[in-house]
Amino acid sequence: MSIKASEISDLIGQRIQNFAAGTEARNVGNVMSVADGVVRIHGLADARYGEMLEFPGNLFGLALNLEQDSVGAVVLGEYKSIREGDVVKTTGRILEVPVGPELLGRVVDALGNPIDGKGPINAQATAPIERVAPGVIYRKSVSQPVQTGYKAVDAMVPIGRGQRELIIGDRQTGKTAMAIDAIINQKSSGVKCVYVAIGQKASTIANVVRKLEEHDAMKHTIVVVASAATPAALQYISPYSGVTMGEYFMDNGEDALIVYDDLSKQAVAYRQISLLLKRPPGREAFPGDVFYLHSRLLERSARVNEEYVEMVTKGRVKGKTGSLTGLPIIETQAGDVTAFVPTNVISITDGQIFLESNLFNAGIRPAMNAGISVSRVGGAAQTDIIKRLGGGIRLALAQYRELAAFSQFASDLDEATRKQLERGQRTTEVMKQKQYAPMSVAQMALSIYAVNNGYMDKVPLAKVVAYEDALQGFALSSHKADLDAVNAEPVLKKHEATLKRIVEAFDVTGSY
Amino acid sequence: MADRLTVARPYARAAFARAQADDKLGTWSVALARAAATVGDERVRALFGSPKVTAAQLAGLVAGVAGVAGGELDDSGRNFIRLLAENKRLQFLPEIAQIFEVLKADSERVVDVAITSAAPMGAGEQAQLAGALEKRFNRKVRVQTAVDPSLIGGAVLRAGDLTIDGSVRARLARLAQDLTA
Repeated sequence: MSIKASEISDLIGQRIQNFAAGTEARNVGNVMSVADGVVRIHGLADARYGEMLEFPGNLFGLALNLEQDSVGAVVLGEYKSIREGDVVKTTGRILEVPVGPELLGRVVDALGNPIDGKGPINAQATAPIERVAPGVIYRKSVSQPVQTGYKAVDAMVPIGRGQRELIIGDRQTGKTAMAIDAIINQKSSGVKCVYVAIGQKASTIANVVRKLEEHDAMKHTIVVVASAATPAALQYISPYSGVTMGEYFMDNGEDALIVYDDLSKQAVAYRQISLLLKRPPGREAFPGDVFYLHSRLLERSARVNEEYVEMVTKGRVKGKTGSLTGLPIIETQAGDVTAFVPTNVISITDGQIFLESNLFNAGIRPAMNAGISVSRVGGAAQTDIIKRLGGGIRLALAQYRELAAFSQFASDLDEATRKQLERGQRTTEVMKQKQYAPMSVAQMALSIYAVNNGYMDKVPLAKVVAYEDALQGFALSSHKADLDAVNAEPVLKKHEATLKRIVEAFDVTGSY
Repeated sequence: MADRLTVARPYARAAFARAQADDKLGTWSVALARAAATVGDERVRALFGSPKVTAAQLAGLVAGVAGVAGGELDDSGRNFIRLLAENKRLQFLPEIAQIFEVLKADSERVVDVAITSAAPMGAGEQAQLAGALEKRFNRKVRVQTAVDPSLIGGAVLRAGDLTIDGSVRARLARLAQDLTA
């Protein structure tokens, strides 16, 4: 398609015609100093906290410190062009980002600008990045599950829609992998996903986007990127941009999932800004409001009731609840969860999944520590079949842990103890799962049923994984209808016999 | 700059309160302006921090220059300068004078407006503008004018931190921004 020059000049002519150029009365100030992305401005007496400030050259900043004679602001973008004495104007607006379904499938920066080279985003609406979370009367308790597709997570630390579940662990323990798999598993669940990458290597982010595309998971996902090379101010605001985009879906009676990867780096970016703004440092040199930094963010993850959705959409959407599930990620240093930021976020969230490097290195992947990982509210949202079967898993693993240490001293154990140990070992094996291989509820139920009811006791420990693989393959090829029936109505009472039938039919073939 | 203003503010407030109580705002204003100019002089500035010059000598010098005709200092005025010298704050006199003027203008319900126009303004235009501004600020307006041809047309008004930009240059800049956004 070619555009005629006359069309362009007509278009510009129209724009000029419609351009209302009145005089503008604005509060102004002058730049006193620019250093490390932080600008001190003299004047600007009417600036408000969090207001956008306009610098020359279409550059914007955020007023963060209002002092007696000066305003401290961070520049959102490249600050190299700002000089001492430059005129700064107030805008009377706070920072807004585009929201809406148009963003799905796109990679955007912290301000909502596309960076994936797929052209402009024609979002119909914008929303301010800072907003007060829905109040108590608009909330509803968690009652529907978010299936992560991981046996270990869905059986032992179930996550409900609207819950905040922390994924915490050292570097290289599979935190991002778990979150990405949870996003991939929402392909058919209708849950919209937002992945916020904060302070990560651009190559890592490119990998994540590629993996999501490979698994056809980009079409329901927005990726918000503030890579390690972007200014600290943008890294600091990127989770708020992401949650604003996620909230749009919640407000419209849909379900959404947001992953913050990771909040430790955001806290570090915020610490940098705070120290440069000369705010007093506290523990680990973090400023005094690091707790609020994360609590106000995570509080915006919620499950809201029908009235809220109706009120926010002005009656356009009726009788639907909305939810925004939060999966914040925190990286610990050498497993130290008592550091400042980890303890804060642990106390804010509704539970945590601990990933440990020694488990990871022992080949237990996902490297979840079942003993200290909890979900405080997810149990109410678990499907009946997994809830009933999962109880056995927790018990078997707890008993196993207790006996495992003890059994190292005793050479010959009594029959009951030995059995418990073996069951525990097999359960641990069954909880292993490959990356990018999320399972449906029925598949999980089948594996868990088989190990709980002793069908794997006769299988040598080293072959448990192979047995499970073969069992799943068998069920998928010859009992697809049964699996679909379980998925359609995941109630144990109804389908226990079906599960038993499949496992026993598989045992007859003995092909593992 | 901001830090200097912060240091200067309490001194300026105190001086203003004293001057107002004694009903000598005019005298103080002249004296402070002159003292500020003295301190700004390079030859005087060289004396600051010199071990040979005592605080009392410095105070005497500044008060002596400031206190000539029009800005005759009374005891409290001389005490003020001496206090500044003892606290090693004499070099903040320009800021103190600046804040003093702001406080004085505020108490007299006067606002200083700097008008920069593209072409020299006639007396009629100036009076018209001043009238409109007096209505807007609900204050008396003291106008300073300047001419800047680079504005192309219109004028820019600046009163404190508030800027009212009605210049053609600003409108063109906004049009450019609107078209490229």
